[in-house]
Amino acid sequence: MPGQFLTLLGASGSGKTTTLRLIAGLETPTSGTLHFAGRDITDVPPTHRDMRMVFQDFALFPNLSVYDNVAFGLRLRIARRRLAKHEIDPRVRRYLDLVHLGEHVAKMPHQLSGGQKQRVALARALATEPEVVLFDEPLGSLDASLRKAMQVELKRMHRELGRTFVYVTHDQDEALTMSDRIAVMQNSRLLQVGTPEDVYLRPSCAAVARFIGAANILGCTIESVDAHGVQVRLGGGSAVRAATSEPGLGAGTSVRLMMRAEHFVFDRTGAGEQTSWLSGRVAERLFLGRSVEYQVVLDGSEETISVLDQGGGPPALPRDGRLEFGIRWADARLLKD
Amino acid sequence: MLFWLMPPLAWFSVFMLVPYAMLFYYALGSVDYMTFKPGFSAANFIRVFTTEPYLGVLLKSIKLGLITAAGSAVLGFPVAFCMAFQTRSAARRFQLYLLVIVPWWAAYLVKAYAWKTILGTNGIINKGLAMIGFHPLTFLIYNQTSVALVLIYIFTPFAVLSIYASLERIPTNLLEAASNLGASGWEIFRRIILPLSLPGVIAGSIITFSLSFGDFVAPALVGGADAVMISNIVINLLGVAFDWPMAAAIGIVVIAFGLTLISISGRLEAQGAVRS
Repeated sequence: MPGQFLTLLGASGSGKTTTLRLIAGLETPTSGTLHFAGRDITDVPPTHRDMRMVFQDFALFPNLSVYDNVAFGLRLRIARRRLAKHEIDPRVRRYLDLVHLGEHVAKMPHQLSGGQKQRVALARALATEPEVVLFDEPLGSLDASLRKAMQVELKRMHRELGRTFVYVTHDQDEALTMSDRIAVMQNSRLLQVGTPEDVYLRPSCAAVARFIGAANILGCTIESVDAHGVQVRLGGGSAVRAATSEPGLGAGTSVRLMMRAEHFVFDRTGAGEQTSWLSGRVAERLFLGRSVEYQVVLDGSEETISVLDQGGGPPALPRDGRLEFGIRWADARLLKD
Repeated sequence: MLFWLMPPLAWFSVFMLVPYAMLFYYALGSVDYMTFKPGFSAANFIRVFTTEPYLGVLLKSIKLGLITAAGSAVLGFPVAFCMAFQTRSAARRFQLYLLVIVPWWAAYLVKAYAWKTILGTNGIINKGLAMIGFHPLTFLIYNQTSVALVLIYIFTPFAVLSIYASLERIPTNLLEAASNLGASGWEIFRRIILPLSLPGVIAGSIITFSLSFGDFVAPALVGGADAVMISNIVINLLGVAFDWPMAAAIGIVVIAFGLTLISISGRLEAQGAVRS
């Protein structure tokens, strides 16, 4: 969809960068076709695609100043009579201002910091006002605080410019915070495409759930199916109800149960009726500042799950203490393998 | 610490400082009836720049050096470009590299003689022409053109390797970025590759210039009276005329000229510093 912020998310080697390079035309597909706005662009050379890429290591031209780097694509357009000479200067300055580099126009790339180089690369890509801007892990080489700032900047620019951004990252937090839609990739396959809420709360399979937010995933067997959902029994014998709407699941089927660590509740009276209760032995208690994470071995099994207490949980439990916790039916999800 | 500095210091003094000092010592003296007389006079240096044939030959050597440098760069660039960007595999690149470097395993003298047998009056070209009934061409050899030709042939590998070294350092993603921004092949070459390879071209040109400027084999073998170069003059002064002071003065001028050239180009390179 035009104007969207789409993120390709996956571990390294999942094929997301290759996908991006295919879109840009820097790589040729061995099979299949590539369509852009309904047109087949498989054999269109990169030069003729209206897409600009922001490279992982910036790829600024070291022999050109900041100004000339940004003007590079525009000057090529004069030669092709798609732009008049007098349009260049205001355009370059507008985009350098947009990335807050207005005072650095005369500098050479090697005189810039990592974050500044990043922004020059961004201005260079945006200056030609392409339909699509492609990002290949553009924040990968920046430190954490700079990353955060650049994420906010990118989000702002996406909103202001209204262009389509296709963004490659292996950082799930980055993907969740920035995207309109996320495409989760693994082993060169597309696992799921959806809004951040979709892929986080309603992952299509165990791999997506595991990759995004490291969910607890347990093997289980369906015990009964009724109007309110499905009851499953875990390996250890505990029963959990899930308000799933997945069709075609009958009793006796082996499925996987996903429970997010932060969805567990501890207060029996406040939890309401539609909650399943589990208990286990605390194997490890990790203090995370804003919350406490328990590594809990479920009763009657060897499986360890992670339970997050964001306030409201029991007072500091020692190791080997017993923890009881609940999961609302709506928060427990069944996944196919 | 001092112990480890000894060998380089010794090397430097024995092979650099002492010879230069001797060179100066001779250059400032004079010769009287084939015997050297020490002195302290700049007369020899003045003669280098005021008396023929010294000045003329010096200028001619510079001219031939520049022609060689330019010719080697022009011939070497496409080869280096091929090695850096047009080879599909490392094996193919190595083959090309061997083609450039293998001629260097043959002695210089042999290669220069080979040119004599190609260009000479009884050489391959003229024999061939005679067979089809033409008069032999006399302009092929014993002039400045033949000297330049041989010098370019001999020194082009230096230009190739030096240019290749700079081309190879250009990251592929710069070329991808340029094409992504809409640049055609020629525009990428013109705006990115050529400027980034300039340090290599300059470095290669300095090498080829210095080597050909001071060369004496090519002019001795394929250069006639018209193509005498400064090193031939020095050899004659040393071996025939026994005018060592004059030879030393020319040597110093040549060395000073080389150093000036290198420092100027170093300055130029630092100004247009291309760092990533």
